[in-house]
Amino acid sequence: MRDILGHSLNFQYELLLPEIIIAITATLVVGADAFRNELRLGRRILPWLSVIGLVAALVVSLLWIDTQRNFARLITIDNYTTFFRVLFTATAIVVIVGSHEYVERHIGHIGEFYALILLSTVGAIYMAAARDLLTAYVAIEVLSFSLYVAVSLARNDPRSGEAALKYTLLGGVASAMLLYGLSLLYGVAGSTQYTEISGALAAGTGGMTLPLILGLVLIVAGLGFKASAVPFHMYTPDAYEGAPLPITAYISATSKAAVLALFLRWFSGPLLPALPDWQWMVALIAVLTMGLGNLVALQQRNIKRLLAYSSIGQVGYMLMAITTVSVVSASALLLHIGGYLVTNLAVFMAVIAFYNRTGTEEISGFRGLAQTNPYLALVITAGMFSLGGMPLLAGFLTKFILFTAAADGGFLWLATFAVIMSTVSLYYYLQVIKQMYLYQPDGDARRWRLSPTGYLTTAVLLAGTVVLGVYATPLYTLADRATRVLFV
Amino acid sequence: MESIGIIVAFWALAVTTVGAALGVLVSRNLLHAIFFLITSFLGMAGLFITLSADFIAAAQVLIYAGAISVLLVFAMMLTPLASRDNANSLYLAPGALAGLGLAAIVGFVAVDTPWAELAGSTLAERSFPDTVRTIGAQLIGRYVLAFELASVLLLFALIGAVVLVHDRAAERGAAAAAEEAGTGPREEAT
Amino acid sequence: MIPMENFLLLSAVLFAIGFYGVLARRSAILILISVELMLAGVAINFVTFATYLDSQAFSGAIFALFVITVAAAEVGLALGIVLRIFRERQTANVDEVDTLKW
Repeated sequence: MRDILGHSLNFQYELLLPEIIIAITATLVVGADAFRNELRLGRRILPWLSVIGLVAALVVSLLWIDTQRNFARLITIDNYTTFFRVLFTATAIVVIVGSHEYVERHIGHIGEFYALILLSTVGAIYMAAARDLLTAYVAIEVLSFSLYVAVSLARNDPRSGEAALKYTLLGGVASAMLLYGLSLLYGVAGSTQYTEISGALAAGTGGMTLPLILGLVLIVAGLGFKASAVPFHMYTPDAYEGAPLPITAYISATSKAAVLALFLRWFSGPLLPALPDWQWMVALIAVLTMGLGNLVALQQRNIKRLLAYSSIGQVGYMLMAITTVSVVSASALLLHIGGYLVTNLAVFMAVIAFYNRTGTEEISGFRGLAQTNPYLALVITAGMFSLGGMPLLAGFLTKFILFTAAADGGFLWLATFAVIMSTVSLYYYLQVIKQMYLYQPDGDARRWRLSPTGYLTTAVLLAGTVVLGVYATPLYTLADRATRVLFV
Repeated sequence: MESIGIIVAFWALAVTTVGAALGVLVSRNLLHAIFFLITSFLGMAGLFITLSADFIAAAQVLIYAGAISVLLVFAMMLTPLASRDNANSLYLAPGALAGLGLAAIVGFVAVDTPWAELAGSTLAERSFPDTVRTIGAQLIGRYVLAFELASVLLLFALIGAVVLVHDRAAERGAAAAAEEAGTGPREEAT
Repeated sequence: MIPMENFLLLSAVLFAIGFYGVLARRSAILILISVELMLAGVAINFVTFATYLDSQAFSGAIFALFVITVAAAEVGLALGIVLRIFRERQTANVDEVDTLKW
């Protein structure tokens, strides 16, 4: 079949199999939840059903390693897509396994909760896979809409609805800005296809520089909003604090990584010819994001807000790799995203296990955790040290490679600033660690144990944090193979 | 096509659209704002027709002026205290400044750019395409994936909206009626 | 033919009006309406470019169609959230919804 302009199109639906599996699983989960009483199913079936679907999708997505095919010129299935397919399905599996006890206790609508996580995974994957602005936009909205609802699912917590309101309204404004930018880009390039935009921009835009720059400003602002980059971050701490903990973990992991994946796909592909026009913008918001995220984190008392600002800081480091866009910095970015996901999820899964036991989100609540549960204290410590960039942990190695790539790319001042801010960040991570190790427990000093799945997820993630810190070559090789397809 | 009629139509519709949009801004009563919004959307549908996008115009009337407006009126009825006296209060001056600045910048860029000559297309001789046929063929053909993705999005927006407004009290009543005992003790806080 | 700039200028004005409304309004429903005005400006932009510059493939018009669809879904969701907030605290004004600091 050919489209109107005569390009041949292939409709190989098997290329979409992983997402079809996930979407079907999502509807099955909602259905199973709705008819739970009639079907005599326990509530436990829902997370396991979701995990089975995700595992199947993950396995199937491995079929297309080292292929380069597209579906109707709308999405590409290449190593980059496969990398993020695996990353996002794995993240969803970890979040679901690590939080099912929390979900049973604190979430009003369990079936919808799992279905929304599954659905947002589909959106995240297509954000990385899109090769047309239209697919990219719809994918962004699939991810955002699932999260708007998921944020509001906490039971008996008035903060939840408020967070959802702010997230939805500001997310809508961000979408509108992004779309206006995209419409200008479409006007300049005359197409929504990545390849044709790239061709049009490379051929020279002549008198179109102004609309192009305006479009880029709006695109960077809209995407910056979605990635919670400063100065578009205002909703982030509120959304993080009001959301149920697993959703906070999920937003800080998948949502951020998906926006960065889209950022990289756009700025290394269709928008690469306009590099001089956007480089300064991304550098600017990278500096602001690193600086403000880390400095405001110093004053936080709530663990969710602390992690929110810490994740804003992390986005700043990642944007630095977009600024110096090249094969090296792109691979470094993917490596850092991988390391960040493992580390950040380790911290969040530990915090979820902690919250299940104690019901507090205050940092002062972590007092004496080293006595009551030394294992959990160790996981949080390792995770926080890794986020802060201590050697022998994932965060150090991935940050080191990322900063070196930025310095080599001609942005030494940016890399220097990142190193300084990374050092600052150690201070607030140490505050939490201090609470756990230097103080006596406030109340109950008895030892307690995690649930089996709690042990499983935290142990796997802890192992990942340590292994990546010592031996990251395999992941780096994978990241390198994934980014080779970006720069043709 | 090159008649004076289409030019008159454009200006009439443009004035209606922008005027009604400004009306949305200054209304204190939510219902008035919604009526202004409907007027603005209908003006826009007319503008889409002058752009020869008749299908988009129909969609605009059905979805925006129809469905969305009804939804907004329903929301207004369900939030009785919120519908009156919506004075502007937040960031009035900075907002006006930002709005005017944005209009000036975007408008300047739109007017200043010689779109037509750069695009190199022959605007005047262009025949009006059969947009319904084109759009239909593209939606089910080339853009089928985006179409499917959007339908998944709508399905889950529907589920999400139901979940959001689901009444907790009714849920508890239903839960009490259903035999939940087998799945363990359920936290029943208000 | 009406000059293309007229349509682009119109969409710019609508976008800016919506942006002002987002900043200046207190009621969540009115902020939502303002977002819809911004999106309407986007749709006009897309259709204009499609008609004048891309009349063969017309992909901008399809983009506009998706924008309208997604906007409808967004209104549904956002109003659901507003209703929930209203039920909890009898207000739909964003400056009174302030348990969390911005």
